[in-house]
Amino acid sequence: MTTIPPPVLQIGQVLTVLLLAPLLHGFVVTAEERVQRGTGPSLFQPYRDLWKLFHKELVIPDSATWLFWAAPFVSFTAMLIVPLLIPVLTNYPLPLSDMGDILGGGLILTLAGFSILLAGLDTGHPYGGLGSSRESMLAILAEPTLILVFIGITLLAKAMLPFVVNHLLVAQPAVYWAPSHLFLVAAFFILLTVETERLPIHSSIQWEIYMIGEARILEYSGPLLALLKWASWMKQAILYTIFLNVLTIPWGLSVHGTPLGVAGSLLALLAKWALVALLMVGIDTVQSRLRFYRYQEPLALSFLLALLAIVADQL
Amino acid sequence: MLIFHLDPLASAWFSLLVIVALTLSFVMLGSHWLKNHIWAFAAESWVIAALSVTVGAYGHYPELYAIAVLTVLFRGLLLPYLLLRIIGGLDVQREIHARLSPARSLVLGVLLVVFAYEVSAHLGLRLGLADNIAVLALTAMLGLKLIGFLMMVLRTEAVSHILGLLLIENGIFLGSQILVPGMPLLLELVILFDLLVIVSTFGLLTRYLKTHVGSTSSHDLQRLVG
Repeated sequence: MTTIPPPVLQIGQVLTVLLLAPLLHGFVVTAEERVQRGTGPSLFQPYRDLWKLFHKELVIPDSATWLFWAAPFVSFTAMLIVPLLIPVLTNYPLPLSDMGDILGGGLILTLAGFSILLAGLDTGHPYGGLGSSRESMLAILAEPTLILVFIGITLLAKAMLPFVVNHLLVAQPAVYWAPSHLFLVAAFFILLTVETERLPIHSSIQWEIYMIGEARILEYSGPLLALLKWASWMKQAILYTIFLNVLTIPWGLSVHGTPLGVAGSLLALLAKWALVALLMVGIDTVQSRLRFYRYQEPLALSFLLALLAIVADQL
Repeated sequence: MLIFHLDPLASAWFSLLVIVALTLSFVMLGSHWLKNHIWAFAAESWVIAALSVTVGAYGHYPELYAIAVLTVLFRGLLLPYLLLRIIGGLDVQREIHARLSPARSLVLGVLLVVFAYEVSAHLGLRLGLADNIAVLALTAMLGLKLIGFLMMVLRTEAVSHILGLLLIENGIFLGSQILVPGMPLLLELVILFDLLVIVSTFGLLTRYLKTHVGSTSSHDLQRLVG
């Protein structure tokens, strides 16, 4: 049996996230429109958007400093690093995947968010400041929960590496179906809605007074905006992948790295993404929008679930 | 007995279902809308039916499948339907005069569950069942009963009182599924019939209260009538 060399697979993991993240976003947007009886844009609209933005002129505000320039590159690079650390296609570690553990990956994701937050404040535009302050209010509650979830996973698997967690959950159904694990899944799912802007406080329309994430990058245009958008879609794809391949559906990954196995795991990944995307669309459609200050309730629930999972694990 | 030699997967399944049932009872404490209470009760009944199926499959008790079907039919479908009809006939959508806010009743519920855990941990230690699924089953059973009592104490609407009663009964049933799974089918039929009588009596009672007092809230029942 011929196997693909690990470095090629590792590059493949990054390319998978890089090239398919816009498709995932397109799927979410189209599915949402279809559910609400609209026609929706084409699945490939995000690619066309990127193409258009990369060919547009770049306009920089007078008040912008180097931070404004750096943020898109920092966040884009961060999103290229994280797929190296997590199981995207294979269930075994590939070269350089021992650079960082679960917490390391979380740190890099947070760094990207932090750089965009600073860029939002940098220009002094009122909407940028508004978006950044709202985003940091959410982050204040979301980050401790994220860390608790990671601690819970670590206590469950007695290791900080996502691959070990994946192997444990596949090997021991008793751990998979234990309440402590499923509570962590529920807590992470709520965090996923926060991080990918699918909470009932986020709006599905982009430019309006209640925007949160979109307000931070309102000043950007042209190629820099394209990079930021691409980075945010990649973040969504990465978080979905962590949620699915590490926690929820650890099956369907390539075990030996044969071409057929990798192709199968790629198809499986697309199907799994579609599943979570449909769940998110369901939540977005069923739950009516809440005012912004209701943001603590789901996050408090998620914190409680993570805490309960840890307590249940230790008893 | 089943609980002494349980493989880890079965144990994980049981504890998951028990904990989900316990969590659903907190939905009742955390909400003041009567419809939410009824949906939570229905969901809890489905979870208990799933538990019956799992216990039946792992412990080889074929009669538990019949019990699961009866549980779904009666507790999961018929009772919620009757209760929804009762509140459909009333013009009350939610608790107005509850004695504690949802947040406080949730905290009180947590304290009661902790108390239930302490009691069952002691019991488990005495019976040589420590580190066993039995402790969890006992905790859930006592916890559900205490939460049911709490519902009846804190809430004023007649429908909430029925739900408190049904919650207590659900707790007993859930515990008995795991602790003594070989319960005869006849006993289960008796319990289900009991529940049906409870709900229909309460239906009559609320109708009576509505025509004679004008309200189904115990908050308004302050005058003794000879």
